[in-house]
Amino acid sequence: MPADILHAGESAGTIDQTMPALEMRGIDKRFPGVVALDNVDLTLQPGKVHALMGENGAGKSTLIKIMAGVYGKDAGIIRIQGREVDIKSPRDSLKEGIKVVFQEIALISEFTVAENIFLEGYPTGKGGSIDWKKIRNDSAALFKRIGFNVDPAARTGSLPVSQQQMVEIARALAHEARVVVMDEPTSSLTPNEVSLLFTVIRRLTGLGIAVVYVSHKLDEVFEIADTVTVLRDGRHISTKPVGEHTNDTLIQDMTGRRIDNLFPRQRGPAGTKVALSVEGLSTAKKLKDVSFEARAGEVLGFFGLMGAGRTELAKAIVGYDPITRGTITIDGHRLAPHDTRTGVGLGIGLLTEDRKTEGLMGELPVYQNASLASLGSFARLGFVDKAKERKAVQEYVDRFRIKTPGLGQKIKNLSGGNQQKVLISRWLMRGLKVIVVDEPTRGIDVGAKSEIFALIDRLAGEGLAVVLMSSEMPELLGLADRIAVMCEGRLTATMSRDEATQEKILNAAIG
Amino acid sequence: MTNASTAIDAAATGPSFVARLLRHQEMALLLCLVLVIAFFSFTAENFFSVRNMTNVLGQASLALTAGIGCAIVFISGEVDISIGSLLATIALPLIIIMNETGSLALGVSGALLFGLIVGCINGYLTAYVGINSLIVTLGMMFVLRGGVYLYTGQRAIPDDAMLDSFILLSDGRLFNVIPYSAVIALILLFAFAYMMRHRPFGRQIYAVGGNQEVARLAGYDVRRVKFICFIISALLATVAGIILAARVGSAQHTAGLNFEFQVVAATVLGGVSLAGGIGSLWGMALGVLILQFLSNGLRGLGLPTEWQLVITGMIIIAAVAFDEAKRRRANGG
Repeated sequence: MPADILHAGESAGTIDQTMPALEMRGIDKRFPGVVALDNVDLTLQPGKVHALMGENGAGKSTLIKIMAGVYGKDAGIIRIQGREVDIKSPRDSLKEGIKVVFQEIALISEFTVAENIFLEGYPTGKGGSIDWKKIRNDSAALFKRIGFNVDPAARTGSLPVSQQQMVEIARALAHEARVVVMDEPTSSLTPNEVSLLFTVIRRLTGLGIAVVYVSHKLDEVFEIADTVTVLRDGRHISTKPVGEHTNDTLIQDMTGRRIDNLFPRQRGPAGTKVALSVEGLSTAKKLKDVSFEARAGEVLGFFGLMGAGRTELAKAIVGYDPITRGTITIDGHRLAPHDTRTGVGLGIGLLTEDRKTEGLMGELPVYQNASLASLGSFARLGFVDKAKERKAVQEYVDRFRIKTPGLGQKIKNLSGGNQQKVLISRWLMRGLKVIVVDEPTRGIDVGAKSEIFALIDRLAGEGLAVVLMSSEMPELLGLADRIAVMCEGRLTATMSRDEATQEKILNAAIG
Repeated sequence: MTNASTAIDAAATGPSFVARLLRHQEMALLLCLVLVIAFFSFTAENFFSVRNMTNVLGQASLALTAGIGCAIVFISGEVDISIGSLLATIALPLIIIMNETGSLALGVSGALLFGLIVGCINGYLTAYVGINSLIVTLGMMFVLRGGVYLYTGQRAIPDDAMLDSFILLSDGRLFNVIPYSAVIALILLFAFAYMMRHRPFGRQIYAVGGNQEVARLAGYDVRRVKFICFIISALLATVAGIILAARVGSAQHTAGLNFEFQVVAATVLGGVSLAGGIGSLWGMALGVLILQFLSNGLRGLGLPTEWQLVITGMIIIAAVAFDEAKRRRANGG
């Protein structure tokens, strides 16, 4: 029998502990032109945390989606407690007690938090009508029990992403479960919330539930996992107790190579020419009197805790969002407020945090995504010269080694790192002077990260001023020439890389 | 609104009570309806009388009944514009069977069976074959309209059976006050509004319209939900068609012309989003009543039909634009 956290005591051993909770044997999955999984095995023991690791495109998500009934498998078998099962739809999977916390928020934004938690099966009273009172009480009790501070009566879409992520996690726990899968559950949680999550995971394993934990954050894996399975290019590479791994062996298994230096610096020292100058910048909602300069060939890093105003700053300086006061000067030209067109014309571009909604056009091919900002330069008599356009894009594909089957490939089929490179190409093609990069490595694995870092280094090396917004301190310390720290919309400190330490940065970020 | 949401609202803190009340679509619409009625009560002769009010309710009952189905299909994220033609078509099996057998029950059963088949075809092509519902129901609209025309030609097929119970449907009134057609519409409205709010299937419709992929991941059979929504819509249009046939007393090819657009307009005015997942049947009902009282009042003022159309059209666009602006502000961008 499966168990659930709301109704079980602290140690209800109702799950058969002698058999594997779930076994996947010889799983194959092909997509057109790609082998996503090739003969992959996975065995989950009840009451254990099993980390699933691998670079983007290694097959983790595909494996989870097969488990969840989102995709069908081409070959292989799945057994639950020794019994072979046929999972054809998400419903089959849920019935078997497999609960997945997906990486992308899967909630109905118009519903209340409480309703979303019971989406999978509404408790009903007499005559089959929904028992709303039970839904409210149980969801409040669930949040209390796991220690998350979320209002069950709030409209889900009105909550910040981090709270939505907590709702997702709580939802997986509201019903009886045998296996709980968490795909990057901590990507927008604070350290405090992460430790609450780990307490919950330990409670789940105490109930005999098997937990699959997918994360790129190695320290989390070492803290919570019992066993680690590594996938690479759709193949099973290793399954070991976590104690037999070190950071290095794990990275080596994941990438198939050693990454000695995550931050290779190839570029020379920063130039002296001011490419971007911001003075007294304020916006209606967040920013207060922000002033700084970025020089050609320099990486200027911005650090700030959640809500410090980094994203707002990024959007304001490229002219995306309106400003109330202050001036922005790019390469000697004033940028009119709220004017992306001129911004692009003057040579400033934004790589956004949210690639899917603000940067990529998923259904369009690679070359159109790359050429979007510079269509004018390929135009002849008002029509785009396709041959010229493709040739220009091909140069960037070669230069950045963008992995794509062809220029006509839909960009949504590319891996995250390669999508990122296409976006960078878009702005480089436009003849950029300044590039603003907002959280470039969110949700990206170690291997792709090092490529992105190399790319940023290269952008600065080509004489661009790079303004890098990041919440990852090591990233800033490794990449930036200078680090600016923000707190509640203000600039609280600016320091050179040599004088910066984690403590100094954090002190300035707290304000 | 329902217990659940009022309890939640009461617990919420923030803007003033009135501001929060107005944020509810239904409350703003109710206010509009009251204003419309108040305005014409002072300006139009004979507007504010029990007789006129109940008459308007009777006239609104067709759109109310079919509007339930229209709103449900909208909420599921699809559209159904075949209801006007279905309304006309349904009179054929109904009247032919009644004329042959002299039985209202058999006639109504035949009509419902016909509606069921139409709903199944719409639903199957949309949900299981995957054709855009606008195209499917647009096609169905022409097929049905053409079909009736083929059968009847220019003439109308009269109701020769003249059954008492059938005629009661057109001019009978409960307690001599409320038209039976309105009683039927209100019962259906309450029943389906309850389903949409308090039955798991109703919530599944909202979930499917709100985010199809999320609904699938939650274990819902998205295609089945949509399929059933089209059947509900067709059956409710059939009920409206039966009432219309009773009123007209015949089957004819011009019945219910442009009816689908009146219903769509009222539904959209009532705050039901074409994008799916948003809106309520109460909102739709208020939208229907606002438009019905408006056209009745404008007629009372002696305004020609042409002007009624122009004014109605402008109000719909203004209402939806206002709603969109409000929603954008609520989402903070």
